[in-house]
Amino acid sequence: MIEHVEAAPDEIYDIELEKSLLDANAKLAKENRAILDELGITALDFMGAIGSGKTTLIGKLVGKLKDRCGIAVFNGDATTTNDADLIAREGTQVVQIATVNGCHLDANLVQKAFRKIDLKNLDLIFIENIGNLICPAEFPLGSKSRIVVVSVTEGPYMVKKHGHMFLGADVVVINKIDLAAAMEVSVEDLTRDVHTLKPSIKVIPTSCKNGSGLDEVIAALSPIWNGSDA
Amino acid sequence: MHEFSIVSSIVDAVQEFGEKHEAKKILEVRLAIGKLTHLQLEQLKFCYTAITKATALEGSTLEIEEVDAEAACPLCSYRGAPKFWEGALNFMPVPTLQCPMCGNATDAIKGNECAIKSVKYAG
Repeated sequence: MIEHVEAAPDEIYDIELEKSLLDANAKLAKENRAILDELGITALDFMGAIGSGKTTLIGKLVGKLKDRCGIAVFNGDATTTNDADLIAREGTQVVQIATVNGCHLDANLVQKAFRKIDLKNLDLIFIENIGNLICPAEFPLGSKSRIVVVSVTEGPYMVKKHGHMFLGADVVVINKIDLAAAMEVSVEDLTRDVHTLKPSIKVIPTSCKNGSGLDEVIAALSPIWNGSDA
Repeated sequence: MHEFSIVSSIVDAVQEFGEKHEAKKILEVRLAIGKLTHLQLEQLKFCYTAITKATALEGSTLEIEEVDAEAACPLCSYRGAPKFWEGALNFMPVPTLQCPMCGNATDAIKGNECAIKSVKYAG
């Protein structure tokens, strides 16, 4: 026999709580941002599907920028060190953030990653989020800007299907445009879809394979780390 | 599937609340979830039933109030429902940040809520 108690009607209370469930992460994200601002470091959060080319894009950007500024990269990955290994070849500081099958990075994990690197002499931290087009949007990390990487190989409808993901982004990179004809995907249509969702987003078509558009990505992002577009 | 981590924080918050108020039993938890969040309500309810087992919240009901999105345009001062994307593939309207009046980018001022509104308990 399990004991139980039952409340009389006058013992039932209904209390307003108004407790935000995303506050804990949001607070840590603000802390992260304050730490970075204090040191003059800009963090950028790259989100996008698995295979969209986030790692390759970050690797190429690091290659072009590493002689001009101090860069570190945080690679979020559910289980492997694959992406971090690829970026480490560029000779930058890399931290693998393993979410152990978690579907998104959070501000706490990013704060822990800060402790693994030398933050002195850094200008930029590129954060590669988990390959996922839904969950990361809810969890700010303390970055100054969020970039969504999509690729033509994800098909013609991916922007329409994942509209929510773009509402919090400032820049969208449409990658693998060298494959657009073969995929019968229109880069113009994808661009129009992004602007339908949010007219202020900068959209930059790239091919990380042949290097086209990479300088335009740097031109679009540099006002963010130079402070004029924060 | 971040509904699981959201529900875990509900359980933590309500357990702490229950201890503070010396609740004998938690009867109902009411949430406010904005329509701009990526939270799937059925999954929230499913996770709630699963995670609350053997906690102070076991057997309590989860009520979810959906909060409509609201946009504000910094350019033309429009404030109200966002523009929805007609003709997207979706079976439900897709909210956009395009101003329905002037077409500029708006700010979402409502719709990102994810909060416990109230807790009903037996004391």
